[in-house]
Amino acid sequence: MSWSTIKRSPKRRSTKLSKQPAATANDNMIPHKLVEELPTDQLGRNLDTTIELLKNLLGKNADFFCRKFQMYGKFNAAIIYFSSIVDKNAINSGIMKPLMYVPVQTDLEKLTVTNVLDFILNEAMFHTEIKKEDSIENIINALLRGETFIFIDGVNSGIQFAVKNIEKRSISQPETEQVILGPREGFIESLQTNIALLRNRLKTADFRVEIMEIGRISKSTTAICYLEGIATDDLVKEVKDRLGKIDIDAILDVGYIEQFIEDNHMSPFPQIQSTERPDKTVGSILEGRVAILVDGSPFSIIAPVVFNQFYQTFEDYSSRFLMGSFVRIARMIALVFSLIFPSLYVSFISFNPELLPTEFAVAVAGGRAGVPFPAVVEVLIIEVAMEILREATVRLPKQVGGALSIVGVLVIGQAAVEAGIASPITVVVIAMTTIGSFATPAYDAAFALRMLRFPIVIMAGFFGLYGVVIGVIFIFNHMLSLKSFGVPYMSPVTPGNFQGLKDVIIRAPFWWMPKRPQMLHSQNSDRLGKTKGESKKGTSNTLDPVMVGNEKWEEDKSSGISTRDNSHSSNNDSN
Amino acid sequence: MEYPREITVIQATTILISTIIGVGLLALPLFAVRTADTGAPLVTLFGIAIASTGLGLITFLGIRHPRKSIILYGEDILGKWLSRVPNIVIILFFAILTGLTSREFGAVVITAILKQTPLEVTVIVMLILAALSTRNDMNVFAYIHNFYVPFILAPALIIVALSLKNANSLYLLPVVGNEPGSYLVGGLTIAALFQGSFIFTMIIPFMRHPRKAFKASIWGMVIAGGLYLLIVIATVAVFGPVEITNLLWPTLELARTTSIPGNILQRLDIVFLSVWVIAVFTTLFSSYMFTVHSISQMAGLRDHKMLSFFILPIVFVIAMIPQNILHLYDVIEIFGRLGLILTVGYPLLLVSVDLVKKKVKKSGSIKA
Repeated sequence: MSWSTIKRSPKRRSTKLSKQPAATANDNMIPHKLVEELPTDQLGRNLDTTIELLKNLLGKNADFFCRKFQMYGKFNAAIIYFSSIVDKNAINSGIMKPLMYVPVQTDLEKLTVTNVLDFILNEAMFHTEIKKEDSIENIINALLRGETFIFIDGVNSGIQFAVKNIEKRSISQPETEQVILGPREGFIESLQTNIALLRNRLKTADFRVEIMEIGRISKSTTAICYLEGIATDDLVKEVKDRLGKIDIDAILDVGYIEQFIEDNHMSPFPQIQSTERPDKTVGSILEGRVAILVDGSPFSIIAPVVFNQFYQTFEDYSSRFLMGSFVRIARMIALVFSLIFPSLYVSFISFNPELLPTEFAVAVAGGRAGVPFPAVVEVLIIEVAMEILREATVRLPKQVGGALSIVGVLVIGQAAVEAGIASPITVVVIAMTTIGSFATPAYDAAFALRMLRFPIVIMAGFFGLYGVVIGVIFIFNHMLSLKSFGVPYMSPVTPGNFQGLKDVIIRAPFWWMPKRPQMLHSQNSDRLGKTKGESKKGTSNTLDPVMVGNEKWEEDKSSGISTRDNSHSSNNDSN
Repeated sequence: MEYPREITVIQATTILISTIIGVGLLALPLFAVRTADTGAPLVTLFGIAIASTGLGLITFLGIRHPRKSIILYGEDILGKWLSRVPNIVIILFFAILTGLTSREFGAVVITAILKQTPLEVTVIVMLILAALSTRNDMNVFAYIHNFYVPFILAPALIIVALSLKNANSLYLLPVVGNEPGSYLVGGLTIAALFQGSFIFTMIIPFMRHPRKAFKASIWGMVIAGGLYLLIVIATVAVFGPVEITNLLWPTLELARTTSIPGNILQRLDIVFLSVWVIAVFTTLFSSYMFTVHSISQMAGLRDHKMLSFFILPIVFVIAMIPQNILHLYDVIEIFGRLGLILTVGYPLLLVSVDLVKKKVKKSGSIKA
């Protein structure tokens, strides 16, 4: 919470000190500005003044609720809240009820305005999350967050009840990052729920969730999650610094934050990972990264990242390592495909058809016979059509989407070829490219390569294979010079780290990777215990048919033949 | 300059490898065969020995002055004004080397792949790529070299492996060559191909442990030199010395004779040449970086970024000076020899002056 005070700009501080009396609060004033111009932040003793003040500020809202009532039959009191964002049941049964009925063994005579507050706080109230608040600004902020206040005439502080209740959807499967083997939970828009999902997986005192408020108007609650003792202190500090420098009116999604704290704004490559999977977030936190969540966004962002994270999925780790490695290699091939396949096609067709096997070259030439454009134009036309089709399918309602994709397939696949706009091979190439880019699990990384495909195709149109290689070198050089919070983007490949390399192309078994990623310089780098995962030695093949058979034998006939084996297995049993 | 000293031994080694292996590899067997026909591998070995001496001297100097490059310790050893001359000559030489490398590769590209593209375009594309990359700092320089080394070594090794089936070991005999005697000339020509290793002097100050520089230079020389030797042996074994003298780029021809099983691609030379763009790029990148970095050091600038594009037109003009390929190779040969004086002779001079100075200092201090 202390962060919200840091966030406030000095200019606003100074306006607060200006001597404008609250009485001049007319209807034309903007409420929030009014708060800053109040002569004093301290709540008064008079109930009517307080209600007047709050009504002036917030009363224009339809969902603003204020009710005066007699508390214990002797105190004038008022309850104030925004009816749209509170839990009314909790208010009725947890707050109002105990305030109306005097507790049984209470001496009502002794209650005065001086001790009633303590009485309510300590004895009378059933509600747990309750506290005293006397700063007007805090009261207003809390009201807007969905807290409820009770003010008592003659007492100069209000009682704050946390009864926030905002409609939220239930936890569902992550839409963009599906897995076959692994948890089915995804983040939702409620920060509380998201943190619950994380905390449920990290039952340790080291797990830290720090809260900041970002956005001048939206005051979005932002959570910084990390593991103390694993994430370096400097990294956490750096993240907080970068977050603290954000000055914008509203943070509507965690993507806003990503754009403010990334290192290179002009790069097509994402330098921060966003995911809607709690398991993936926890995995990253366990490696020593920091996750940032914002209330209202079903994504968490993770920093720092390296490039290879973008083609890794949680499934690589939750499935057996052979499966994980195989799938990962397939994904890498798809990644390369989505970047250079069309440009390779262009350069082979336009510059070096002699490289192709003769039969294939003849087939390609036959297919292209009716196409009037050079290969590069043809590829670009189909690529653009494909991009439009893809974007349209995302935007269209589900019922229409299916129809559109069929039309798209027909138009692009069949009609374009027959109309002589494209050759069949081009369609095959573009289709494979598109499929390849769908195989990349991270949407933003796939997008980067999708964008970069166009300049490379154009380079291929100009310079053939030479151009493709130049383009690829250029991209790699850029990637090698990128950094995410100081971590080189291409590590652990370059700068090389042998331990890290085991998790780049293949996903090595867990016991081959006993350390956390070196590039994050975790304070505690041991991931695996000393025993190592290959617990081969300790196993006793309990259900080995030989042993089981022998065991029975021994029980049946006390004078067994193979005594030594029997004694061995029975020993195992007794232990 | 003091701050990011994080280049590791492996990175330094890879910088050496990828800098040395460049476009020179394409014509290397021709140079070797011209002077000693079947003794080509031996001449290559001799050339490697000469180049190693130069590299050894540089490394020795670098370790003695672990915070400075040759530009700066040259000033220390010879004095600020006297060292100006060799420093300017070194910078000029590397600018010329950059130009000639890009020109040579441009010529290869327009001969083998892009037959209708103007030479100027292929050269300028390559130079722009190098110039853009020099805008990074020295660590990124190391990362780039480190990253590309596998892509440089792999195609060369694949060619050698695939060409073995056409090899005839008789072509390699007699090992000493039919008319031994011109080893020195051939050795010098081949040593000139290793001149890129001179940029090691720029790397040592950025190494995390400059003391381990010798390890890096030995490994770099062994791997790069070993690859050169392999290529020469393979080329000579496949074509024979007589045939090679008729070929302009025997290594390219070697790639042309090979094919991969499965008939996926009919010819491999163009694919290899395309991948070789990487090798040429790294070489070019190194010499360009050395030029830019040395100018900024000499001028006492903190940053070399703005210089990268400033010298681009100069390098381009240098690249365009040779009139044709034959003239180009004459120029390359001349500058290669002259360069040896610079890259081996100048460090030798520095080492001797440095050692003499040290001795004088020591004896002086004893007397005092």
